[in-house]
Amino acid sequence: MARLIDPSLEKLSKLMSQMGDMAIECVSIAVDSYLEGIGTGGRVRELSKEISEKYFQVEDLTFEMLLKYQPVADDFRLIRSSTEISYAFSRFGRYAFDITQVRHLFGDISECKNDSLIEAANKVKHMIREAIFSFAELDIRKAVKIQEDEAFIDKMYKERLPKLIELKNTKCALAEALLLRYLERIGDHAVFMSDAINYIVTGKHRPTEEQISSHISKE
Amino acid sequence: MSNIIQNKQEKRAEYRAMFRSNVKNRLLVDKIMMGVVFACVLIAITPLLWILGTLFYGGAEALSWEFLTGEPGAIGEGIPPAIGPAIQGTLIIIGLSSIVGIPIGVMSGIYLAEFGGNWFSKQIRFFTDVFMEFPSIVLGVFAFLLIVLFLGHFSVWAGAFALSLIMFPIIARATEESLKMVPWSIREAGAALGLRKWIVTLRIVLPAAKNGIITGILLSVSRVGGETAPLIMTILGSSQFFSGFDSPMDALPLRIWRFSLQPYDEARLAGWGAALVLVITILAIHIGVRYWFIHKRKKTDMIPRLSKIGV
Amino acid sequence: MATVITPKPENSTVVDNQIKTSQKKYKMITENVNVYYGNYLAVKNISIKFPEKSVTALIGPSGCGKTTFLRCLNRMHDMTKSARVEGKVMIDDIDLYDKSIDPIYHRRKVGMVFQKPNPFPTMSIYDNVIAGVRLNGVRDKKILDEIVEDSLKMAYLWDEVKDELKKPAIELSGGQQQRLCIARALAIQPEVLLMDEPASALDPIATQKIEETITELKKDFCIIIITHNMQQAVRVSDYTGFMYLGDLIEFRETKKLFTDPKNELTAKYVQGHFG
Repeated sequence: MARLIDPSLEKLSKLMSQMGDMAIECVSIAVDSYLEGIGTGGRVRELSKEISEKYFQVEDLTFEMLLKYQPVADDFRLIRSSTEISYAFSRFGRYAFDITQVRHLFGDISECKNDSLIEAANKVKHMIREAIFSFAELDIRKAVKIQEDEAFIDKMYKERLPKLIELKNTKCALAEALLLRYLERIGDHAVFMSDAINYIVTGKHRPTEEQISSHISKE
Repeated sequence: MSNIIQNKQEKRAEYRAMFRSNVKNRLLVDKIMMGVVFACVLIAITPLLWILGTLFYGGAEALSWEFLTGEPGAIGEGIPPAIGPAIQGTLIIIGLSSIVGIPIGVMSGIYLAEFGGNWFSKQIRFFTDVFMEFPSIVLGVFAFLLIVLFLGHFSVWAGAFALSLIMFPIIARATEESLKMVPWSIREAGAALGLRKWIVTLRIVLPAAKNGIITGILLSVSRVGGETAPLIMTILGSSQFFSGFDSPMDALPLRIWRFSLQPYDEARLAGWGAALVLVITILAIHIGVRYWFIHKRKKTDMIPRLSKIGV
Repeated sequence: MATVITPKPENSTVVDNQIKTSQKKYKMITENVNVYYGNYLAVKNISIKFPEKSVTALIGPSGCGKTTFLRCLNRMHDMTKSARVEGKVMIDDIDLYDKSIDPIYHRRKVGMVFQKPNPFPTMSIYDNVIAGVRLNGVRDKKILDEIVEDSLKMAYLWDEVKDELKKPAIELSGGQQQRLCIARALAIQPEVLLMDEPASALDPIATQKIEETITELKKDFCIIIITHNMQQAVRVSDYTGFMYLGDLIEFRETKKLFTDPKNELTAKYVQGHFG
């Protein structure tokens, strides 16, 4: 017999999967278009806005479920993590939009070398895909890979940033710095997402103090 | 899908029409039954009212202070007969029987209700029920054989013994039933407080069953107040006031019987008077005891209170 | 949502009595308690340690043996002919079922509150509260007055009835009657308080008051409460035990049991898949 909470859980699941699909598309388009020099700001802006709207819907829905059904155990952990994960999605959309804005603001940056960015971008795209699939299947085995990818992006970020100071072309330097920043943040949220998924499955909060403290030292 | 809903709605409408169509019939039957029941009640009450009316009509004349306090005397000598000793005797015999019958009856009732459930108490209950239906004359004969013959003379002890035998089963059963009406949760609460069983029974359960037990006692008192046959064989009757527990004594039923056998008018009038006095005495005991409990009754009347706490 | 792929321990019963804080004292410990009704085994081999000054909730579907188990803890089954209890129930190292002790005397260490309020109908509020004490022989009026005030205060009823102590107890409302029963149970100075669905017969406001009372009482007593209302268990208890068909399936800190139950049956029950 269906429980009272089941229709709401289905609605939540649908929203989240829609957001996930949109997030993947959004970030991929943004990153690819930057690297290839195409302008697709319009589509990305649209997606980002939609993701944002869905984020608020998810917030409303989760709090409504808490109010009405007082969920426990698996339901509770799922709902709790959904707020974190949907926030991550909204951030993906937002940073994707920011990435498209860089080209928009800076104009023509075709002369900038993008080698370092390409690898980071691929990793990020991969991370998001992995995270979203991990959420869909509630499979926490992908968490390790996501962690490794994030560590890589972090490392690149730390190594590359000082080098940008020495770059003659300030426009390129700034553009690359912004991109690295956005990619790094996307990576962070992917890890937070995977922590939240881990919480759903195991009930344990992974200690992310290291990540958090490492960010504080970066600021 | 909508087809099924249509069918259901149609069916419902059908049923409704069906119910409404024979409402008139059912109301009529209802009224007829009410009439029948009411008529039965009237038929039942009428003889009772008739008797009471006749009693008052026949006996009121005889009442006077001398009548109530004087001795019967020899009939036919011009001295109006009186029923003083009879009244005294009735009160004494009821009192004595109660002193014996009530404690034993209540204790037996407690045993059956609280410690029953085994084979032994089932047998006791059965015999108690049989006992209640015993013809009172048989009990009188029994008391005669046991006490009167043994002691060699009629006595008040024998009379009290016979009447207490009549009272005992009534009180025992009434006590048992009232105790059973007290909800089990009360006993549990008492036990959970670490109280011993006999304390729970006597100090908590018994007071709660008070009303039913009192009713049982009053019933038995009314019953023995009017018993004649056992008294014939045990206290015999006399024309004097109480003269010791070891001698015969008068009582109202005996006196009424004596009066009714005599052909004189004044005897007959005295008989009506005595009957009236007997009925009034029993009524007075009832009303008196009930009234004394009414003050407390309003506050501890269990039935409405029990339903309030959802038992 | 798709399947959960995870290494989770399976359907073994999980009893986790390790409290991570400092060495806690246990007020009541049951060891291998079995209860038979005739030949039917209603409660199967339950061993639990109840910490002092805490609230433990027992949850589970109807008929799982919670009430039967609770009644072992103060030997209420002595009143039932067909019930037989095996195992030990220890309060502070004294086994209640030890043949050499007086059960009625030791039963006073454990107070019980029942599902339907059951004040003694012929007694006033004062007499009800003091019944367990006075009928056990204490006569000193001063002591009795003190105990009445104390108990009613602990049960959060003193302010409402202090001017009407001679009023018959059955004139109180349902919620007040239940608090009266709590006061009555506390008056005998128990060390453990057992409550069998104490708020299930009450309206929401009365329920709230009872829960507040329990939360205050746990500062001094070890309380064991049966409840059908899982939200109540979450609100009120520190530890929760889930029982099913006579077995203890899981026993852990309440928050952990309700957010991350280790046993699949527990997870199903608390989420409302059955029961």
